[in-house]
Amino acid sequence: MNAPARPDHAALAATLRRRILEEPGETPPAARQAAAQRAAGGPPTQSPYDDLARQIGEAAYRVTDAQVASALSAAGSDKAAFEIIIAASVGAGLFRWEQAMRALKEASDAPA
Amino acid sequence: MRLPEVERGDGLANRLLIGFISLVTRMRLPDAARVAFYHKDFGAPIGAWTQAAMRGASAWSVGERELIAAMVAKWNSCAFCEGAHGAVAAHQMQRPLVDAALADFRAAPISERLKATLAFLEIMTLRPAELTRIHAKAVLDAGVSAEALTDAIAVGAIFNIVTRYADALDFALPTPDEFKRAASMLLKRGYAS
Repeated sequence: MNAPARPDHAALAATLRRRILEEPGETPPAARQAAAQRAAGGPPTQSPYDDLARQIGEAAYRVTDAQVASALSAAGSDKAAFEIIIAASVGAGLFRWEQAMRALKEASDAPA
Repeated sequence: MRLPEVERGDGLANRLLIGFISLVTRMRLPDAARVAFYHKDFGAPIGAWTQAAMRGASAWSVGERELIAAMVAKWNSCAFCEGAHGAVAAHQMQRPLVDAALADFRAAPISERLKATLAFLEIMTLRPAELTRIHAKAVLDAGVSAEALTDAIAVGAIFNIVTRYADALDFALPTPDEFKRAASMLLKRGYAS
């Protein structure tokens, strides 16, 4: 019996990015992309979700009820606010994925 | 839970499912599972990657991967994920070993390759912009293959996502006994909802 193949993490990460940040949802993709970039350490934006996205990126355990309530009010529904929270989280996670994979590639490519 | 619709479920079928599982397991369905059921068309790729990274083929055992998840949760101060994945790791390894790693992984009786990998993942989690090839080379020099480090980075990236939405949504904290029972379910059923 053949051993199961290792997961293609790069493809799984690309699928995640596409669905969460680029495809249609309750919120415009641009709003999700802005939240993701802010949570990945990007500069402040005019987005109504800027404060929540920054907080999710920096220290999500410090997110407050008021920050989520403010985003919910701007988003107009639980589902839309959910998309923004997930997008910000994905932005911070994929930024780390890319940084780490770049470091690994450079270490693997370097002459011994 | 800060979004009421995520807590109760979207649509009648999901509400009934949440109620049914809570009834059968005789515990409140953890918020992580409620998120997995919610707005499924949107969040499904998170579950797919998590299932592949945590239960797919890997150089790391299931217990080691769960310990990595718990470590990322600890670095991100996410009590829910530290409790949940620490409990799964303890199911696979010894509880004192998991506690020792969570307290100070450098001094814990775990393999040198896991220690080197955790040192890399700690920087990735807390100071990602500082990561360089020197950090990655230190892991490779400890005997970790590029494939194994990739597998660990995937777990680290996923739990840098999960811990953030867990805390932003303010997941309710189960009791130690509930964490233990939920750990058995995660080992049996996995992550893809």
